[in-house]
Amino acid sequence: MSTSAAPQDPVTVAGIEAPLLVVDHLSKEFGAVKALQDVSFSVNAGEVVGLVGDNGAGKSTLVTIIAGVQHPTSGHVFLDGKPLDVATPAEARDAGIETVYQELALIEMFDMATNFFLGREILQKGIRQRLGVLNRRDMRRRAREKVSEIPAKFPNFDAAVETMSGGQRQIVALAKAAFWGGRLLLLDEPTAALGVQESAGVLDMINELAGEDRAMIVIAHNLQHVWSVCTRILVLRRGYLVADLNKADTSAEEVVAYITGAR
Amino acid sequence: MGIDRGGETGTDRLAASPEAESSGAAAPGTRTGTALPTRPLRWLLSPDNARLLVLIALGVIFTFASPFFLTTNNLINVLMNAAVVGIVAAPSTLLLVARQVDISIGSAVGFAATTLTVVAESRFGLAVAVLAAIGAAMGIAAINAVAITKLRVNSLIATLGTLAAFRGAAKLIGDGRSIRLDGFGFLGRSRFAIPGTDVRLPVAVLILLGVALLFSLLMRYTRYGLHMYAMGANPKAARLAGVSLERNVVIAFMLSGLSVALGSFILVSSIGATAPTTGMGLELLAITGVILGGASLSGGRGTIGGTLVAILILAVLDNGLTLMRVTSFWQEVVRGGLLVTAVAFDQLRLRRGKPEVRFEL
Repeated sequence: MSTSAAPQDPVTVAGIEAPLLVVDHLSKEFGAVKALQDVSFSVNAGEVVGLVGDNGAGKSTLVTIIAGVQHPTSGHVFLDGKPLDVATPAEARDAGIETVYQELALIEMFDMATNFFLGREILQKGIRQRLGVLNRRDMRRRAREKVSEIPAKFPNFDAAVETMSGGQRQIVALAKAAFWGGRLLLLDEPTAALGVQESAGVLDMINELAGEDRAMIVIAHNLQHVWSVCTRILVLRRGYLVADLNKADTSAEEVVAYITGAR
Repeated sequence: MGIDRGGETGTDRLAASPEAESSGAAAPGTRTGTALPTRPLRWLLSPDNARLLVLIALGVIFTFASPFFLTTNNLINVLMNAAVVGIVAAPSTLLLVARQVDISIGSAVGFAATTLTVVAESRFGLAVAVLAAIGAAMGIAAINAVAITKLRVNSLIATLGTLAAFRGAAKLIGDGRSIRLDGFGFLGRSRFAIPGTDVRLPVAVLILLGVALLFSLLMRYTRYGLHMYAMGANPKAARLAGVSLERNVVIAFMLSGLSVALGSFILVSSIGATAPTTGMGLELLAITGVILGGASLSGGRGTIGGTLVAILILAVLDNGLTLMRVTSFWQEVVRGGLLVTAVAFDQLRLRRGKPEVRFEL
């Protein structure tokens, strides 16, 4: 694939209505390791796409590239038809991509409100803004408003996140992503290490966040969880995108066959 | 992400589990196990109060042990001795909160002080000497900052290097001599009369209070302070949230450089001369104070108030033991023992918190 050529306009490539996200011939190498090889797909608004594959298949690499944390060796990512080529995490975020990282979505010592606004703090007005003085009251108020919309119950709004259960933390992280109105949510193993009931709560939250104008990519190991939230399934194997399946047209057996290489 | 590896060396690894924010409100997830009477007791023995109690207890003990302890002059002496350490310990607190450390401060103070006296001695005069000393302190800070953020050297190692190098450099530029400096007594020797009393507080103590207040405001109320705590608590998550680790560390080292310059001026001013040993051991005192003051080696925790009380404890201890005619050799032993005890308590508190291991870079 041509790597040095200017990125083509994906709208004309597709020839139809522009998808929200276009991943175009993406490759990523770490020295001799080829983590991603020529991966192309697109995601439309309103879709919830499950990204599955064995350990080391390239799922996290793909998501971190879209999130602007890593840069591809070759290929391009387009959001709304605009290339995100040299994006930083902050730029990707400003473009509307919110990422919920496994284990790293929240600072455990901080409370919910501080976590909601970390990196995007509300400051006081005037001279105090220039000095970087925080407006804690506004941040707490707005975070509290958002949290009150969530059906999940939190015993103590002001408690450090580390005092919460894994499921509660995940829900806080999802609420944070939704709070910032991301148009594309990337969820890295949202139900990893959660019990049955906690997973159900998190999956409910994901279903609630799915909407007309928002797309999601969900990395998951548990196919049952994938089935309960996703409309489409992408399978990565050893860096290659080996299958792009509609949930309605496939079965768990088929997906497993793609993951393991039986197909 | 080399700069946040400060938290990964040796002892820090052991401290990798998160603990309840001690200064913040309650952390209900930690056990409420046993019944009623523990609560007031626990409040009384919370780290912040425990430090104050230790300070008061020491005061009471020394008051009984020596008739000279509880006199205005002696207490002012204690404060004066705490001033230089406190001034350099303020940025050290900020740094340790973000899992960084600057142990070059002792040599940096020595080098800046020697630069001051050497240049003042020459034909350039005092004004140029002051600027040169500020430049020297900031230069060392810049070297530290570049080594840590650009060359990705662990902050402990980088500043250990500058600690050694600039002790030597100070001896080089001063020829290993003691150098007198006259006409520079304002910062170190002048006093400020507190209206309505006959107490005359050293200007250096007022400077310490000013520096402590500024750092306290910076750490508690600004975005910068919040980001430093975030970096210490979980560097990778902080980076993913958009916190610029490198920029923040550079700023902290620059603040450290400014404090070093200020501290060296007060030191030279009060003594009236520099020696090859000027500032030696200051880093150990400052960092002992910071850790005794509640900052954790695993980052994310620590306050200026805690550091200040801890440094007063150290100063009172030195002063009281001296009044009791305990040799300074024993004072060093006590100081070292106190540091180890403080860290041991920190570890104990960590373990009593949640046993979960935090994700590390």
